[in-house]
Amino acid sequence: MTGGSWLCLLAPLGGTILITLCGTRIPRVAAGWIATTSVFIAFAGAIWAFIGVHSQGPPNFLGGPPWAHLPHQGEITTAWTWLQSGNFHVGLQLLVDPLSTVMMLIVSGVGGLIVLYSIGYMDGDDEERRYFAYIAFFVFSMLLLVEGGNLLLLLAGWGLVGLSSYLLIGFWHERPSAIQAAKKAFVMNAFGDATMALAFFILIAHTHSLSFGVLSTSGFSSTAINLIALGLLGGAAAKSAQIPLQTWLPDAMEGPTPVSALIHAATMVTAGVYLIARTHVIFEQARTVELIAAGTGALTLLVAGLIALVQTDIKRVIAYSTMSQIGYMFLGAGVGAYANGMFHLLTHAFFKALLFMTAGLAIHALAGEQDIRQMRGIGRLMPFTKWCFLAGALALVGIPPFSGFFSKDSIVASAAALGTWYGWIFWVCGIAGAFLTGLYTFRLWFLVFPGEPSPFVREHYHDHHGREGAWTMLVPVGILAVLATVGGWLQWSPRWTPFTDWLAPAAPTLQAAIPTNTQEYYTSAATVLAGLVGIAAAWAIYSGRRIAIPSAPFWRRTLENKFWFDALYDRIFYAPAAWTTAALRREFEDPVVLQTGPDLGQTTLETGGLVRRIQTGFLRTYVLFLAAGAAGIVLAFLIAK
Amino acid sequence: MILASAGNALVWIVWVAAAFSCLASGVAVISFSNAFYSALALIGNLASLAVMYLLLNAEFVAAAQVLVYAGAVIVMFLFVIAYVGPRRETPWSGGPGWQTIAAVAAAGALLVEIVVAVGLQASGSLARESKVGAAFGTPAWIGRVFLVDHLFAFEITSVVLLVAAVGGVILGSHTRRTDPGIIGVGAAEEREPEPEMVH
Amino acid sequence: MAGPDVAWYLAVAAFLFGIGALGVLVRRNVLVVLLSLELMLNGGNLALIALSRHFGNGAGQIFALAVMAVAASEVCVGLGLVVALNRRNLSLDVDRLSELRG
Repeated sequence: MTGGSWLCLLAPLGGTILITLCGTRIPRVAAGWIATTSVFIAFAGAIWAFIGVHSQGPPNFLGGPPWAHLPHQGEITTAWTWLQSGNFHVGLQLLVDPLSTVMMLIVSGVGGLIVLYSIGYMDGDDEERRYFAYIAFFVFSMLLLVEGGNLLLLLAGWGLVGLSSYLLIGFWHERPSAIQAAKKAFVMNAFGDATMALAFFILIAHTHSLSFGVLSTSGFSSTAINLIALGLLGGAAAKSAQIPLQTWLPDAMEGPTPVSALIHAATMVTAGVYLIARTHVIFEQARTVELIAAGTGALTLLVAGLIALVQTDIKRVIAYSTMSQIGYMFLGAGVGAYANGMFHLLTHAFFKALLFMTAGLAIHALAGEQDIRQMRGIGRLMPFTKWCFLAGALALVGIPPFSGFFSKDSIVASAAALGTWYGWIFWVCGIAGAFLTGLYTFRLWFLVFPGEPSPFVREHYHDHHGREGAWTMLVPVGILAVLATVGGWLQWSPRWTPFTDWLAPAAPTLQAAIPTNTQEYYTSAATVLAGLVGIAAAWAIYSGRRIAIPSAPFWRRTLENKFWFDALYDRIFYAPAAWTTAALRREFEDPVVLQTGPDLGQTTLETGGLVRRIQTGFLRTYVLFLAAGAAGIVLAFLIAK
Repeated sequence: MILASAGNALVWIVWVAAAFSCLASGVAVISFSNAFYSALALIGNLASLAVMYLLLNAEFVAAAQVLVYAGAVIVMFLFVIAYVGPRRETPWSGGPGWQTIAAVAAAGALLVEIVVAVGLQASGSLARESKVGAAFGTPAWIGRVFLVDHLFAFEITSVVLLVAAVGGVILGSHTRRTDPGIIGVGAAEEREPEPEMVH
Repeated sequence: MAGPDVAWYLAVAAFLFGIGALGVLVRRNVLVVLLSLELMLNGGNLALIALSRHFGNGAGQIFALAVMAVAASEVCVGLGLVVALNRRNLSLDVDRLSELRG
């Protein structure tokens, strides 16, 4: 099974290197096929690793330190020692255990479908090869993150996915808005990286190691463990676009749609949830911080849901939806139901990638138009897209039997299981979030797909040789539509829980977060009901039968300005920094630093000019110097004697 | 004893005369405004030096001094001085004012230092005077020392003389009129009247 | 030895050297400069001969002969230069021959 993990990790890297080395010698579409093949090879490797872990034996009991089961349920494979400093060893290690195999399958599986889709979507772009090199590199980085056998490799993968995200958001680099968005994403991620690094420093200071085994050592002081957990939470929040580090995600939609699907829906943004699940031992020792994580998730899911109500760009709606759903995952992981959070991660990867890709089909058919106010009625012209989007939308809202239902409800029920006052607040947030999800999702649906096609659509729609898109685009969408429908049938808690049991050795659910059957049932009922109410409200407001809603201009303005987060950060961080750099440039850099070069030259010239005056040309002066020098030397000898 | 002291006194008298004429002619060399007179003063200087060499048991060197220096070098000087013609300049004129003062200071410093050095050493390594044999300084003795102990210096000196002879011939040879000249630019420079010259 | 001992000779040599140095530094006529140079060389020669006698070492006299040969060579070349200068109608004033200025 370790062979599978190495194959999974290195195949996309090989794809990137191959595309880079071939350069312009290969046709553009060949780069796409190299990338797709490498990611599917990675998927094969992930299956191999999965089978290997599965065959090690049935998963054991819930609870207890997971690392005791390592010889049976997980294996670390070391390539060579990467860093060595005194007692501190870091090896190039991969960890193959239930949690990492799940992530490997998601990343390489959904990733492979998205890369295949990109072949059709990016067809005709001038820099297609660069795109595929970057995206294969991203898959490699994400796999490094999830397969890393120690925290340092996880951090390396963490940074590399941030880099890939930056490269891909700013892919169309002639657009200044894309470059700004890429920088914004990278800087906010860098903040998270910094907090994570600080957490690691504290960890090293206490345990002299970064292997996963140290996570379960006890004896940290409470300050230390809280700081470590906070640092990890900072990194997770930055990567997963949770409040207060969420402002980069909507702007990241400047990248191509497959990038949004892969990085900002299915994989990278979920890395924060993975981190919490992986390092859950630390979070459990710092329970307050873990609950702060849950609270952050709850807050984000509401805020994002509200903002999504007023967005007019189809990708932005789906982006805020992503932010909201990751809020759910944080909520689940934060209260201690790691398996539930990971299950929602799995189903979310399916339906969110599906939503992005169907939106991409529509955008592609309308030659790049993304404003939903222009796209009315396109469902009539693109029925396949319409039905796939509907499947994804229903899965997102959580209507049975679609996948979202199975995963989302268990999270909300776990919140109720806590029994504390904040548990109930989380529960209410979860229910309210389900209502908002129904509302914004079906606002999007009703505004875009059904009804008479608008004049804009009639004028700009162009199909692809009689079909709605190239087969490389339609096939992955179809596959994901099926997965979004049936993917949730993997687990129906509390009756049938193979997923939770599979993850138990690596990330067992906290006892306090296991809901009773009753809680599960009424929570499911409540969320489905809330979702249906949301759908009904959307139908009432946005479809053909319109009812008026109060305009509430203040709220509208607040939501349109995304709760003023961008303005706030601009005021607090950007404006002072810009002022400081301008002042430094004016006062220090231009007069001092930049002047140093010319000044040095001028000084040298002037010194040379001074020295040149010795060359008078007069013989007598030269002889005088000779005589004076001789006198000096003799004097020196005399003194020495 | 009287003869010895008389001999001693004679040496002293000769020495004083020679030293006085040596220094006086030296001052004369640098003081005359006519170069010809300076060269003639140098002859006197060389002759008094030869006398002092004789007092120091260096007969061969004294003879060589008169023959080579006074006989050949000074004659060369006189030829060239006559060739270039009359030029008179006042010794202390011209140049930046500070230069004269600095020159006197530098020369004086050198002088003082040498005197001090000699004076200080006088108690040390100059204490013991050694006896020399009768053959010391004779031509036979010089010849033997030159060709046995210091053969290398002998050969090198001859090479130097050869090089100088060749150089002198080249420098003095006539060049074609169209040649810009070995010395370089300024070949066509007119002889300008020197205002500091005193006629 | 009879007569003054070596310090007197050395003093005379020093004075001769100083006078020659003064001449080189002060005079502007090239020929007189060369003559002053001869004075300095002779001062050195006198010191050599005197010390050779004092220590009984013949190397001093040999050295003095070599100095004489070198002085003769140097005068030969120097006078050749003067003749060349004169032939090109250049001034023989040391202060005017100042084209090698910086």
